[in-house]
Amino acid sequence: MEFFKKSLDPIVALAIIAVFDIFLFQIVGAWTVGGGETMIAGLFVKALVGAKEMNRIPFWRMVFKPTWAYWKIYISLGMGFGALVSAILSKEFYWRVPKHLSEWVMITIGGLLMGIGIRLSFVCNVSTFLGLTPEMNLGGYLAVSGLVIGAWVGTWVYKKILEA
Amino acid sequence: MITVDGQCLAAFIFGSTVGVLVQRSRWCNTAALRDAMLFKSYRNTKALLVAMMILTVGFTAMISFGNGNPMRFDVGINQFIGLFLFGIGMVFAGACTVSSWVKTGEGNIGALWALLFLIVGLFLSSLMWSFSYWPLAGQTMTGHSNAAGLQFGWADALTLQRDTGIPAIVFGLIQTAALYALYRRILRRERSTLAAEGKGEPVQGASLTSAAPVLAKSTDGNANVSAALPTLGE
Repeated sequence: MEFFKKSLDPIVALAIIAVFDIFLFQIVGAWTVGGGETMIAGLFVKALVGAKEMNRIPFWRMVFKPTWAYWKIYISLGMGFGALVSAILSKEFYWRVPKHLSEWVMITIGGLLMGIGIRLSFVCNVSTFLGLTPEMNLGGYLAVSGLVIGAWVGTWVYKKILEA
Repeated sequence: MITVDGQCLAAFIFGSTVGVLVQRSRWCNTAALRDAMLFKSYRNTKALLVAMMILTVGFTAMISFGNGNPMRFDVGINQFIGLFLFGIGMVFAGACTVSSWVKTGEGNIGALWALLFLIVGLFLSSLMWSFSYWPLAGQTMTGHSNAAGLQFGWADALTLQRDTGIPAIVFGLIQTAALYALYRRILRRERSTLAAEGKGEPVQGASLTSAAPVLAKSTDGNANVSAALPTLGE
């Protein structure tokens, strides 16, 4: 399997993904990850606390009713599955664990901020760049502006932390 | 009309394909922004722009012919605020939504940790919605503006086409031209950097840690920073 022995140019990879995404757009909708992750969060908590308790929270009762019959979940699960298969076939699967406490702290804060951002905006980075903006949705332009400024601020803060 | 099972299956096949291609190419959206800002390395940025160009033409062409499923998505100031927080978070975590799933599939515990706390952040902020009810998504995704809720209604290529009578593909081609101009600008910047350095090969600084050795040679000032960045990218 020659494909799994060498790395792929990201331009080629993203071009192929974009073509497939056009077919997905025709069938069901554009590639997105945040929606699936929101639903996974709902299903995860519902499994922990039960449907009755979950239904007491207005967001999960009125906006996002947890259900497995939500196609966006399967994009996220598919990405993990595809990467696992690819990593095994290319002999690149191995456990990687962050070594420093500072890394764990930054990843934790970063994960929380990403989750809060997705919930607040109803979009993630994928639907920003590769969903809403190609659909020329004004929300995409607002989201791109926020994301680029946020990434700039994050980079600046990170540099300051490292310098300190 | 495709069934729910068919939708889920199509999504899984698409997601698996993305997982394989991203794993083999090491593409990362975080790196596309951060590496461009921090290291002037555009390997991931160029790929993102190419995808955006293809998708803009594809989506707007489909909309012109009455096909496709554009998101019926209302614009609000919450998109700016939410993605601002997301942008900070993805740089801190060293991964975006795509790379966190892909790296988890590769056995990266840090990426799995980022995903877990993304879910925690999502759930905790869903509790805040219970108190603020903002943005009023359930009530204001009506396609109309709602100034009090800082929601501006639904505005995309489809509404442009409907309101102006001009096919969406025309607007799509204009946007594609703007994206291409940005792409050309990046190529020119790369060429001028190469010319200044007097090297024959473009800097193929892969995302995050794989970029570090390349950068360590070229810019001493960035070397320590790049070496200390979070390690989810590799």
